[in-house]
Amino acid sequence: MTMNATCSDRERIFEDGAPAEWEALEAHAASCPLCAEEVRAWKSLSAAAEELRDYSDSPSLWPRIERALAEEAARNAQRGEVWNWFSHLPKLSLGWQIALAGTFALMLAISGGWIYIHRPVGPADNDKSLLRSSALKEVESAETVYERAIDKLAAEAKPQLENPATPLLANYHEKLLVLDSAIADLRVQAGLNPSNAQLRYQLLAVYQEKQRTLEEVLEAKP
Amino acid sequence: MGTMGLALPWKARISSLPRERGTRVEPSEPFAGGASPAAVDAQSEDAALAARCRSGDLRAYERLYTMHGARMKNLARNVLGNTVDAEDAVQETFLKVQRSVASFRGQSSFVTWTYRILINTCYDARRSRRRKKEVASDDSEETRRPEPRAPGAHPSLRMALERALAKLTRHQRDVFLLYEVEGFRHAEIAGMLEMTETASKNTLFQAKKNLRQMLEPPRSSGAETR
Repeated sequence: MTMNATCSDRERIFEDGAPAEWEALEAHAASCPLCAEEVRAWKSLSAAAEELRDYSDSPSLWPRIERALAEEAARNAQRGEVWNWFSHLPKLSLGWQIALAGTFALMLAISGGWIYIHRPVGPADNDKSLLRSSALKEVESAETVYERAIDKLAAEAKPQLENPATPLLANYHEKLLVLDSAIADLRVQAGLNPSNAQLRYQLLAVYQEKQRTLEEVLEAKP
Repeated sequence: MGTMGLALPWKARISSLPRERGTRVEPSEPFAGGASPAAVDAQSEDAALAARCRSGDLRAYERLYTMHGARMKNLARNVLGNTVDAEDAVQETFLKVQRSVASFRGQSSFVTWTYRILINTCYDARRSRRRKKEVASDDSEETRRPEPRAPGAHPSLRMALERALAKLTRHQRDVFLLYEVEGFRHAEIAGMLEMTETASKNTLFQAKKNLRQMLEPPRSSGAETR
């Protein structure tokens, strides 16, 4: 059965016509001058396109390309030696490659964390250390001030405390003995660990209490 | 009525040489041919060529050049307008194939993939050339230097066609060159230009309509009076 084509089919066949449809259009064009003209013009474009076809040989092109390819291959080989350790990776499945990449990332994270924790003391840490040292100096100077003040007060209160005239003074005497004992203990511990701020502050607090107690003793003169 | 072929402004005419539908240029033929023995052979040769290139065999690249070098250079020349740039583009394409053949997964044929690289390389070169011209304050934006080419039957027609092609959109120009000049099938062109086969057919239709309008004299110029 032969296929028929009309003028209205022409553009559709130009765009995407099957060989049988082209035959039908050409059969129609035999009796339709307008379609005959259109078909000829359409085919002329294909014929004209052949004018743009020039497959003349370029004898120097392949040697040039070959040389460039060889140079590139040599460069790749050099790079390959450096990365030789990774050469087996492409042979692994994608899953294994992802797992390896994940493990590598985890190792990096752990190493980074370890290095961060155990990092050497940098300039910032030095600053903190200086602050601690200066705070320690302040504490030590405060202790010295307390000790001097306490020594003066103790010298003044000594007569009353050695022979307490009242039960209150006797209680103060006992309290001062307990404070002296605490001061002695704290000084021993502070000597072992001078940077322990907690010990130094406790020592200062006990000094403060002893000073206040001695002042109360002097105020409690009969 | 009865005018044969295209009537060009300078009265040059060509005879209409009815081109056999389906006579596409080798080796594109086999890839669209289904499961014929020739198609299977071509596919296996394509795969083997890709494998040899991947292994770094320079003879495989030479085989690729022997099969497609002339056509690649012709396509590049029609996009870039001169032989020197075209040869540079072909060389750059081979280097790009060598660099990235390891990542070629075979979604399209190796040859189709190579042409896709060539087309992109040509347009990169065009952009680069345009930038250089802008820097050099050249007065023309896309002037094509006329150069000696193998003598054709209708040199004036060729020049007219080149000028008309330059006015088409990039896709229309590419599809026309690949289909009508280089003889690729729409299925292959679709792979090269990353479009559908239907889009390739439609683009060719639009390209040819536009070229006809540009190349034909106005209808009132006396065509009816003959």
